[in-house]
Amino acid sequence: MAEKQKSRVLVVDDERNVLLTYRMLLEQEGYEATATLTAKEAIRLIEKQKFDILLCDLSLEEKRTGFEVINAARERYAGVPAVLLTGYASPEAAEYARENDVAVLYKPIEIEEFLKTIASLLKESHA
Amino acid sequence: MAAGRGQSAVAMKKESVAAVPGRAQVSGVEKLERRSSFARQPSLRLLLAERSEEVLPILLDEIVRMGYARAFVASSNFESGQISVTAEINCPANYIKRFSTFLWSGDDPLVGVLHKGEPAVLPHAALNRRALYAHPLIFRNRSRCWEAERARQTECLAVLNDRSVRRMALQEQTCSTCEMRGYAYVVGVDLPKTTSERQLTELRSLIELSNRYLSRLFKVEHYYNRMRDMDVVIAQMETVLASMADPVILTDPQHRVITQNRAAERFFSIPENASEGAQRALELNNLLFSAALSSMAMSGTDSSRDLTLVDAKEGEEVLFEAVTAPTYSREGLRTGLVTVMRDVTDLRKADQEVRANLEKLMQAEEIVRQDRDRMSLVIEAVGDPIIVADNAGKPVQFDTLASQLFGKIGEDVRDQGRVRNLVKLSAYLTAFTFAFGQTEEGKLKLYHPPTDTHVEFNTRSGKILDARGQVSHTVTVLRDLSALRKVEELRVQARMLEMEKFAATGRLAGTIAHEVNNPMEAIKNSIHLLQNRVKPGAEPVYEILKSETDRVARIVRQMLGLYRSSSQVGGFDLNRVVEDTVTLFGRQLERAGVQTELELGKIPPVVGSADQFRQILSNLVVNAKDAMAQGDLPESVPDGDTPLPETKMRLFLRTRHLAGAATGRVVVTIADTGSGIPGAIRESMFEPFVSSKGEKGTGLGLWIVRGITQSHGGKIRVRSQDGKGTVFQIYLPVVRR
Repeated sequence: MAEKQKSRVLVVDDERNVLLTYRMLLEQEGYEATATLTAKEAIRLIEKQKFDILLCDLSLEEKRTGFEVINAARERYAGVPAVLLTGYASPEAAEYARENDVAVLYKPIEIEEFLKTIASLLKESHA
Repeated sequence: MAAGRGQSAVAMKKESVAAVPGRAQVSGVEKLERRSSFARQPSLRLLLAERSEEVLPILLDEIVRMGYARAFVASSNFESGQISVTAEINCPANYIKRFSTFLWSGDDPLVGVLHKGEPAVLPHAALNRRALYAHPLIFRNRSRCWEAERARQTECLAVLNDRSVRRMALQEQTCSTCEMRGYAYVVGVDLPKTTSERQLTELRSLIELSNRYLSRLFKVEHYYNRMRDMDVVIAQMETVLASMADPVILTDPQHRVITQNRAAERFFSIPENASEGAQRALELNNLLFSAALSSMAMSGTDSSRDLTLVDAKEGEEVLFEAVTAPTYSREGLRTGLVTVMRDVTDLRKADQEVRANLEKLMQAEEIVRQDRDRMSLVIEAVGDPIIVADNAGKPVQFDTLASQLFGKIGEDVRDQGRVRNLVKLSAYLTAFTFAFGQTEEGKLKLYHPPTDTHVEFNTRSGKILDARGQVSHTVTVLRDLSALRKVEELRVQARMLEMEKFAATGRLAGTIAHEVNNPMEAIKNSIHLLQNRVKPGAEPVYEILKSETDRVARIVRQMLGLYRSSSQVGGFDLNRVVEDTVTLFGRQLERAGVQTELELGKIPPVVGSADQFRQILSNLVVNAKDAMAQGDLPESVPDGDTPLPETKMRLFLRTRHLAGAATGRVVVTIADTGSGIPGAIRESMFEPFVSSKGEKGTGLGLWIVRGITQSHGGKIRVRSQDGKGTVFQIYLPVVRR
């Protein structure tokens, strides 16, 4: 648990309620979760501090995507693990995710799988 | 007829006897005298006469012996009425001439004697230089003729003439009973100058005696002649009988055969050299015939019977119709039966054949009638206008639909549309009827009155030939092409509609999923967050909230799965996907007590999305598991090493490469021993939201399976049996890269 408390998670989703529940789930699980509705705010936060993992919705405000946030984070902290949360991904998007080592979780997401994925990705990056 | 002829024969004979020349007879008499020396008495001499013609010459001879110079006999011919001297002794020719006269010469003294019937001495002045004794001789007898006796008639020529009670005219000298024609002679004797009364009496007695003998012989000869005549008649009758082809049999009252013709002998007369079989057959014939006669005699006067006899010569049975008629004597007594038998074998055969043919004809007619009725039904049911035309191209029959176009046969068509139709039809039929081809296809644009439109019909015509190969009728069927086109259009429309429906369903599902997805994500997460904070009493409600939300989540996940193509399209190892799927569900299957068997063949890489195939396999494996778990297996099975009980639940997965055209196909088989697909949903199982799992299922699994398979150019084959299991086979094309 001590290990987890150190892990800082940034979660980005344009749906307020969804974002809130993600944050609460993560906090319940013992992570330090930062939640934001927009890509713009997310990038601003990334520039301020380092996150151990990024969880991003694919489609965000004003045609911005989760990839933008992830790329911005990785420019600063290379290799930071990232998960794309999406209801629908075009083949191109899926391909892009695979090429850039971004995990994809499809909504509705099984909470067990959601938490397992995060845990294993964090474990990998720390190793 | 026979009697009449007999009578005339007698008359002829009589004349021939009377016409014998006198001189010749005299020499005959001398011969007789030499033979019979005892006959010195005239009466005894007369007895020597054996024939009637011998009597008168003896008489004349005796008269001369008595001392008279000359004597003669004049005889009368009843037919011509002539009286002339037919026998004489010592009469010169010119003397004889004087006595030639006629029966109706009333003033002739000789004729007078004949008519009077009494002998007379004629004075010399009249005919002769001397006195002439004239004595008439007519047929007379003291007793009646036999016929008269038998018929019990008192009047007979012989008796009448003898009694002299009622003298008959000479012309009528015919017996009313036996129809014998009598005779009339006059014996003339030249008397010397003086003749005593005693001498005349002597002469008279001699002549009377001669007449008695003459009458007797005449009568005998009459019967002889009649017998001869009857012989002729009998011979003629026999010839007639013999020449008859039908058997004729004359039988006596005891049914004994009196006579039969040759045709009858064939069936009834048993020849001496007859074989045993033939003899038996003929005996049987006789027996049958007698029996038939008896039964006919019992039944009445005229009768007929059918009688089957055996022709002993040919050995075949002949069917006769025997007609009998009783025969009667002159006195009206029954003397027997005459039976004429008609061979009706052929007649009956012909009759039977005619009957049989009639029967056949009636049957044939019935069949034809049925055929015609059936044909009419067929024609009416075809639903196309049909026209039957004669060999001149003139329509003779329209079915109901054709009548709509052309009016009824024989009806005066007035409206312009139908008149024009008829003109077009007539031109078409005429061209076809006289064309060489046996069939023809063409087009006719006709006015269609029910819809008030013009319709293009496709025509198909055929010829019906008669026995000589000539066109007897033509049949033309019209097909409404516009109707066909409409059907075709409808079919295309229906397909498009179906496709659109599918697409729309998919789009709708996708949209709903998207819109539902995010709120649901929030709900689902919230529920999870509340997990351990529910008040004790609210737990059941919480569980409902959780399970229902999970269900909606599953639906959304499935729907989106079809549109989620995250993986790259390329060649992938299908066997690997199968293995992964089995591994993924391994624990679940194990828990459910399902034995899983894998049979992975050597297959080429499949082109497509591996993720999507994972989805297909997942759906099918989960379905299989659910179908088997629906059975009697307990909800929880002990984990770990506890050995599973022997189970019938088996999941079988197999991949195979089917060589064929180009590179062939790959087939994945997923077979289970589950409950099978319920009959009620077999038709619709690939439609969205169709499920047999109740609340557990989303009803989208197979819809997705089909969508993915089709998008990969593949096909699905399903076999399912209630309570036995289900086999899914997915055929995928192998594409060379």
